[in-house]
Amino acid sequence: MKRLGRSALLFTAIGLAIYAGVYWGAERLVYRAGHGNPFFKIATAREVTFDWVILGASHAMPLDFDDFNARMERDLGLRILNLAAPGAGPLYNRFVLEGFLREHRGRNLLYVVDSFAFYSRTWNEDRFADAKLLRRTPLQAATARSLRDYVRHEGVDVRAALDYVTGFSKVSNPERFQRDAWEGEAQFDQVLRPSTSAVKKRIGYLYPEQTSPRALERYLGVLASLVELAQREGMRVVVVKTPVPPGYRSQLPGEAAFDEAVARLLAKHQVLLHDFSGSLGEPRFYFDSDHLNRAGLTEFLARDLRAVLESGRAR
Amino acid sequence: MLFNSLEFFVFLPLSLLLYAVLPVERRTAGLLLASYVFYGATRPANLAYLGAVTLAVWGCGWALGRTVREPLRRLLLAAGLVAVLGSLFAFKFYDFAAGEVERLAHSAVSLPRLGLAAPAGYSFYAFSAAAFLVDVFVRRLPGEQGPARVALYLAFFPKILAGPIERATTFLPQVSAGLRADPARLVLGLQMIGWGLFKKVAIADNLAPIVDKSFGIAAFASPFDLLVSVYFFAFQIYCDFSGYTDIALGVALLFGLRLMENFRRPYLSRSTSEFWGERWHISLGKWFRDYLYLPLGGSRAGPLRTYLNLMLVFLVSGLWHAGLGYGVGWTFLVWGALNGAYQWGGLATRPLWRWAGERLPRVRDSAVLRTIRALFTFHLIAVSWVFFRAKSIGDAWLILEKIATHLAEMPSLITRYPFTTAHYTGLALVALLVGIEILDERRPVFQRLSAAPVVVRWGLYYLAIFALLVLGRWQAREFIYMQF
Repeated sequence: MKRLGRSALLFTAIGLAIYAGVYWGAERLVYRAGHGNPFFKIATAREVTFDWVILGASHAMPLDFDDFNARMERDLGLRILNLAAPGAGPLYNRFVLEGFLREHRGRNLLYVVDSFAFYSRTWNEDRFADAKLLRRTPLQAATARSLRDYVRHEGVDVRAALDYVTGFSKVSNPERFQRDAWEGEAQFDQVLRPSTSAVKKRIGYLYPEQTSPRALERYLGVLASLVELAQREGMRVVVVKTPVPPGYRSQLPGEAAFDEAVARLLAKHQVLLHDFSGSLGEPRFYFDSDHLNRAGLTEFLARDLRAVLESGRAR
Repeated sequence: MLFNSLEFFVFLPLSLLLYAVLPVERRTAGLLLASYVFYGATRPANLAYLGAVTLAVWGCGWALGRTVREPLRRLLLAAGLVAVLGSLFAFKFYDFAAGEVERLAHSAVSLPRLGLAAPAGYSFYAFSAAAFLVDVFVRRLPGEQGPARVALYLAFFPKILAGPIERATTFLPQVSAGLRADPARLVLGLQMIGWGLFKKVAIADNLAPIVDKSFGIAAFASPFDLLVSVYFFAFQIYCDFSGYTDIALGVALLFGLRLMENFRRPYLSRSTSEFWGERWHISLGKWFRDYLYLPLGGSRAGPLRTYLNLMLVFLVSGLWHAGLGYGVGWTFLVWGALNGAYQWGGLATRPLWRWAGERLPRVRDSAVLRTIRALFTFHLIAVSWVFFRAKSIGDAWLILEKIATHLAEMPSLITRYPFTTAHYTGLALVALLVGIEILDERRPVFQRLSAAPVVVRWGLYYLAIFALLVLGRWQAREFIYMQF
């Protein structure tokens, strides 16, 4: 029995050593194939200070598709870091902002707000455990500690922290050799063919639960803490709603109540809210049911966003 | 709780610890508690269904054991079977049948729906329960079993979700003999768990996305896409289901219990009767043989009845499979009928094969003919899987038609097909599986492993574990067969 125990220990020790090697290799691949993950961007950003940090969910992501961010930086003479992530609600965005502020500084924060992200834990607590995000998040002690705090205090699943620390999602990542690009990026130059069924399906996906006032209150509280954190760090905060097609906007559940609640909260924190959601109505500006394509983004930049971003330089 | 989830990897060591610290006479209760935790973890309401079946079966069994008068015993058996199998039938088919009646009546009638979400594994433990009742009725088993033992027989967590459909005649004596972990079985148990996980997480779940994509858009998928998916599905369902069984058998061995073999390299079968009778889902095949086919007269009631009995068994088997992962529909009946027809073909041509075999024994025993027969059988089964997997009979027919009409072009399509890494990975894993199964057919791989030097053995263990980690899809995809 003693011999069996010794063998088991030796087997485990060798196994752990091999695992460490595989983990190291997987971590190297995170850097080699990294692209869209906000923590990867934070870890690899060369500048210390940025004029703008962009947070939000997928509606903010096209601003960093292809060469668009570089183009904006060149045209406006600003340093912009887009840290938006698909399906990321205010809780995950606050986690990202904390990660950013540990290593960098920002002058302005542009938060792209979407109501769906305020109505479900799917887009908040549960996002932390998404293997697609975890397998592209570089391992850092500070991020691990922060994640542990989110598990303790914010109701994030302990499996997210375990996965992050053990690197399990990285080791078993089936797309380990592929560039970490969100699938929407491949459609950036396409044009939407309007479809009511696609919109219905999309809304059903984005709002998996009913729009409960309790959830809204919880996540508005998280947004308030995010705004306070940014303001404490000397960042000016601007909140925007990006353009969406009218057919999509009209189907959003509880949008008026959301708009009212978010406006009230932001006013209390002296934060500007720009609602551009109705500014581009033509389908040619979208690549799917609700995301701006290159033409839409160019138009949005020229019409509305340029002024917002330039206001950041004027400080 | 899924075998490929983190929860299970926490639950299993805790259960083993509980088992180890309990005295032998308390282990039945301990294992029963662990089984209820396992089964109720995802949906506590599951326990109500299991509890009801357990009570019904134990009560009927107890009464059967104490009753001498045959008419009353028959009545008791019928009551027990109606409760267990009737509820299974109602859960599976009532809502579907009500919908079909309304559809046929052009909505002129409106029938109420049960709307009951039956628990996972119900098909399996309902059949175990029925087997118990029949075994008590025919006095293969004493009826007066302790309630905890009957409860454990039905609830034993490694098998509750997807079998094997264990017999009480082999399970209960092991419990009675005292539950003791056997160190010799531990290693084999761990090997089986590892191999089962590899089949499920690395092979089945890597093939699944390719299969799902083509079967999901059968009308738009190219014939070559469909052909690849038909082949891959044959291996997906095999690795999914047999992977589950291997884990179940392995876990049971950790607790010192031996469950019946459920798969024996089925795609090496040389006939469909060998496939269904000896190699695929053996516990279900034996259940149908012992509790349906033989009571109907089997092959002893004349040729016509034999043919009818065979078809009936396969039609019922089709009905039983409905709802296992791919919904309830007519496709399962067609799948059953098709396999029944294969049995008819096999039965009808058997004298011819015998005659030819006697005259050409060297050809009969040649490796070439064996391979041809295995390939032919595999293709027959793969065709039947199309009905199992497709969303409708129309879809299944469309898939087969598209493949058949473009069969001649397939060789040229291969060279132009945009194969992806997922295809190559899937192909390599299937080749690995087939290679291992061929080796296993000659001499069990686990035996070969035990005989190998420790360096080789450990090297292979590490290779398997890390292949599982690196290639596995660990997002806890459900097992196909446990979804009812």
